[in-house]
Amino acid sequence: MREVAVVSVGYTRVSEHWEKSIKGLFVEAALKALENADLSVRSLDGMYVANVFAGYLQGQTNLANVLADSLGVYDKFAISIDAGGASGALAIHEAYKDVAHGVRDVVMVCGVEKMSETSPQEVVSALTSVADQEYLRYTGITVHSLAALIYKTYLRRFNKKQEDVALMSVVDHEHAITCSHAQYPFKLSVEAIMSSAILADPIRALEVISPSDGSAAIIMCPHEKAKELGLSHVKLVTSQIARDKFNLMERDDLLSMKALIEAAQRAYNSTGITPSDLSFVELYDDYSVMGVIALEKLGLCGPGEGVELLKNGEVKLSGSIPVNTFGGLKARGAPLGAVGVYQAVEAYLQLTGNAGPNQVKNARIGLTQTSCGFNSIVVINLFEACC
Amino acid sequence: MATSAYWRTRLQRYRLMGNKCSTCNKIFFPPRLVCPYCGSVKLSESKLPERGRLVDYTVVYSAPECYETVIPYVVGLVELENGVKIVAPITDVDVNEVEEGMEVELTIRRLPEQLEGGMICYTYKFRPVIK
Repeated sequence: MREVAVVSVGYTRVSEHWEKSIKGLFVEAALKALENADLSVRSLDGMYVANVFAGYLQGQTNLANVLADSLGVYDKFAISIDAGGASGALAIHEAYKDVAHGVRDVVMVCGVEKMSETSPQEVVSALTSVADQEYLRYTGITVHSLAALIYKTYLRRFNKKQEDVALMSVVDHEHAITCSHAQYPFKLSVEAIMSSAILADPIRALEVISPSDGSAAIIMCPHEKAKELGLSHVKLVTSQIARDKFNLMERDDLLSMKALIEAAQRAYNSTGITPSDLSFVELYDDYSVMGVIALEKLGLCGPGEGVELLKNGEVKLSGSIPVNTFGGLKARGAPLGAVGVYQAVEAYLQLTGNAGPNQVKNARIGLTQTSCGFNSIVVINLFEACC
Repeated sequence: MATSAYWRTRLQRYRLMGNKCSTCNKIFFPPRLVCPYCGSVKLSESKLPERGRLVDYTVVYSAPECYETVIPYVVGLVELENGVKIVAPITDVDVNEVEEGMEVELTIRRLPEQLEGGMICYTYKFRPVIK
């Protein structure tokens, strides 16, 4: 196995990009990544494109083929990856295998999503389309309502207050204030969350992701090649994927999140890295409660203690385990298929010392957790600083 | 969804038909072609009990297309008499009066959403048992 490096990143701000198409967003991020490494598009061996909703919202299928062509990459492999919210990280997982096993040398992974050009109802439908349609279509059951059942179970089992769980979103917003690529770079209070609209009781609108447009790209190659090229780089030391039952009712317990535990354990065991070695974590908080559960299942604290980490400030940039250092899904924004790539971009920025005002001191090892369907797919990527 | 695709799921929608695995004896819903617990393909149809208990619920205010006309509505986690759990809409109860632990029974109701060509569609819902 070859050691794998990330040698460059490019990304757009997460926003509502009315003037840019899905193609425009993709090309912008991809060209920036190439430019930052002074690489020509000809030097790519091909690319993975991560996206969820182009087929649904733009009516554009065959996405990788169309987008690669728009970048002038018409003679190399281009593969679309759709795995809901886990798409971006799963694309990185595939590229990692290619580079590690010597199948390909220079691979781009680009996540792109355009969700703003639709009504809120269409967005709910689109988000729900990630669930099993034969089962949930024509019932009125939404993804939010399933999340609400998980949320209520969590509050009850650990005797926690929603005001405390919602701190997850407060922390995200605090970190986004100084993040130039964040969709919502402003402070958010618990009071504001608790007075926002209820989506599915108890879930409030301001503790859930919103529709976003954005694109993020990374370029990966063997570590040896990165050194030859003299590029500022980080190592992707492992990429682990685990899956769990998609139908929540078929799981033993709504809070078991077996795939999250399994992927994290495999990442730790295969590298010898432990939770206490982590300099920061970018976790998947599509709902505030999912972020709190992730803190626990990733081994950063015990069961039911996630809220304590939030309350005592451990997850702040200056805390013992900074979390979502650029604003996470809630405040950086969540262009769904691109989320895992944004997380990798942020890990790269932290570990190369380019995180600006969001820099975590002495950042050496970063973990990204990307999920789909309440952790029915989980990808854990571990990044390590070089030199 | 095409009318034929909806029609193919009529047994689960109108009769709450699930499966019983002949190998591991687990019962599950919705129906599948392969047992999610043991991988067996020896499955038989198994009609789920029509009564159960409301374990938990949520009130939905943010709805998909068409359903915004019926908000707020209740979605519940129902444990049926044989222990199988199912997520289903709860009806015939005020959102302020719904309670965990409530005994509920199956009913088939019309949805606000229509199929292509205006065909009416229905789904399973649960309502409080009238004592």
